[in-house]
Amino acid sequence: MAKRIVVDPIPRIEGHLRIEAKLNDSNVIEDAYSSGTMWRGIEVILRGRDPRDAWAFTERICGVCTTVHALASVRCVEDALGIEIPTNARIIRNLMNATQVTQDHLVHFYHLHALDWVDVVSALKADPKQASAIAQSISPWPKSSVGYFKDLQQRLVGFVESGQLGIFANGYWGHPGYKLPAEVNLIAVAHYLEALDFQKEIVKIHTIFGGKNPHPNYLVGGMACAIDPNSDTAINIERLSMIKKIIDDTNTFIDQVYIPDLIAIAGYYKGWLHGGGLGNYMSYGDFPETTLADFKTLKWPRGAILNKDLSRVIDVDPRDPSQVTEEVSHSWYTYSKGDGKGLHPWEGETKPAYTGPKPPFQHLDTDKKYSWLKTPRWKNNPMEVGPLARVLVAYAKGDPMIKDTVGLVLSKLQVGPEALFSTLGRTAARGIECKQTAGFMTHYYDQLIANIKTGDLRTFNSDRWEPGTWPKDCKGFGYTEAPRGSLGHWIHIADEKIKEYQIVVPSTWNASPRDGKGQSGAYEAALKGTPVVNPDQPLEILRTVHSFDPCLACASHLYDMNGNEITTVKIV
Amino acid sequence: MKYKRINVLGLGNMLHTDEGFGVAALNSFSESSNYPDRVNCIDGGTQGIYLLDYIESCDALIVFDALIPLDYERKVYVYRNEELPDFIHRKMSSHQMGFSELIGVAKLHGRVPQELVMIGAPPQDLQLGIGLSPELEQLVPEAVKAAKALVDAWLVAE
Repeated sequence: MAKRIVVDPIPRIEGHLRIEAKLNDSNVIEDAYSSGTMWRGIEVILRGRDPRDAWAFTERICGVCTTVHALASVRCVEDALGIEIPTNARIIRNLMNATQVTQDHLVHFYHLHALDWVDVVSALKADPKQASAIAQSISPWPKSSVGYFKDLQQRLVGFVESGQLGIFANGYWGHPGYKLPAEVNLIAVAHYLEALDFQKEIVKIHTIFGGKNPHPNYLVGGMACAIDPNSDTAINIERLSMIKKIIDDTNTFIDQVYIPDLIAIAGYYKGWLHGGGLGNYMSYGDFPETTLADFKTLKWPRGAILNKDLSRVIDVDPRDPSQVTEEVSHSWYTYSKGDGKGLHPWEGETKPAYTGPKPPFQHLDTDKKYSWLKTPRWKNNPMEVGPLARVLVAYAKGDPMIKDTVGLVLSKLQVGPEALFSTLGRTAARGIECKQTAGFMTHYYDQLIANIKTGDLRTFNSDRWEPGTWPKDCKGFGYTEAPRGSLGHWIHIADEKIKEYQIVVPSTWNASPRDGKGQSGAYEAALKGTPVVNPDQPLEILRTVHSFDPCLACASHLYDMNGNEITTVKIV
Repeated sequence: MKYKRINVLGLGNMLHTDEGFGVAALNSFSESSNYPDRVNCIDGGTQGIYLLDYIESCDALIVFDALIPLDYERKVYVYRNEELPDFIHRKMSSHQMGFSELIGVAKLHGRVPQELVMIGAPPQDLQLGIGLSPELEQLVPEAVKAAKALVDAWLVAE
């Protein structure tokens, strides 16, 4: 056998998020700085291309949420060209989007975030009998026998003893911040593995409607899938009943596994209510019941909340040049009219200008520019986007489902609504929302069946497919609420080609650096005031940053300006 | 039939030149072959954890990817089963898992394919841009040929 070497897979979607936190003498975070250390440049790639192809490139920006970029992209092109999509296409897009959010939230909770609260190593010491009793007391989920937990624990022991901790390699196991009894840890690890299996089923819906997965097909003007109840190759009765089964199973899993686990775990941490942060929340809204322009029918409402004031939801218009802007006072770019001047994305510029220290370095000079992320602001306010923002906007607008579910979770935890303004609140909001979007999946399935029954099988509007039918010069805006928050694509089409394309992704809102006025971004604000028990193992920082579901790969992609790290090779 | 399901998976980001080697090789493999339905071609992009099913659901797996070997010669590398090197366990970011973590999960589940092969080449250029560098473009046919030889053998294996 050849000598054993390490082949280092290229770090293709590593976060490259850097957090610098200043601790005071009592180890409380006094100030924090968030820096995206790599540069993204999809805008440059898209210039000069056919706008009908843009979705296929944008869906490659992010390794995690491909469909959301495809969706925002086709929406911005349709907006620019004045294309109305058929009812079936609207419903299918909504159903695919609900599927995406549901799957993503589930995966986030169990596979990114849970290990900030769950100590895997402690699960090895659990009593399977007690674990079984606890599991049965919180949920009717059938996989809860003593034998089940015993068997799982044995596999886990074998896995850990083999030295290949793999997925569990990076935890701060044994940290005093972990509060769960060993048995609850064991239940959570069991569900970590079950969720990993189950999420594979959910996305089969994307394969059916999108033709393939990952990277399902979208289409400017509608969807590429044909509907014909009696055909072998189209969306037919058989495929529809497959979808229905997946949707029902998804709802069961969320209701019987995710929500009970969330409540059980949160119950042990309700004394840890750090991480609230800005108190400003924004949602573009999504899930149109008619057209995207008709905001009133969005099932996820649009609006903004400032200073935690739930009595007032302010209207948001991302087309208005004075509302959504990006500035670069603390970002490694230059603007032709001054770095502190916020530019609306339709007027956006992407001119990189790195002035930071030469790596490797110890600290960023945070008084100056310190991030590759631009600094988006809404009416000059830093905003938090994502599940908590959406749930609060819906809650403040009186959405009955959200009011009920939030009420249920708060009463089970015996805490008031103010507990929502925290890291744990963000995590709870994601679970509440996941239950809601699983319900949306049923809703859009029913809507699709009802519409097909009227005899409407149309999925594509070809009226403006040919470039000859397009205006010579036009601009469009496409939005969606991605799992991580508000996503906007702004396009300028001239002479049948893309002239400019700007994307403002959720993680840019949340992970943004300070602006010219010194206002912190959402991560930065959320970390302030958090006590860190052991500075060598900053579990608390991970909890709060993870609660935002960071996706820095898409905020600042694999672009190492210095090209060094990418070729690191090590011998074992 | 020894291998009921054979998956061929292309990994990489095609927006970054040679980072897309795996996807380019997969596309070439898929366009130039006419295998039965039990051979599945999957453009995995950079999907990480969401690719688990494509690893666990097959009996034999080929992964095309850009990779960086120690000697770094400009050629196609083929690693089979135990030749497959240990990967560095990178710190996980977002909820992204590297290929090595995925194999780890498959092991925990007891669902590692019987055959596991990685075929790749070291990148020349990782700049933002679509399309491979001429140096890597040249290596695609060889990578495809290596994969086809394996699949041909697997299809007749009893």
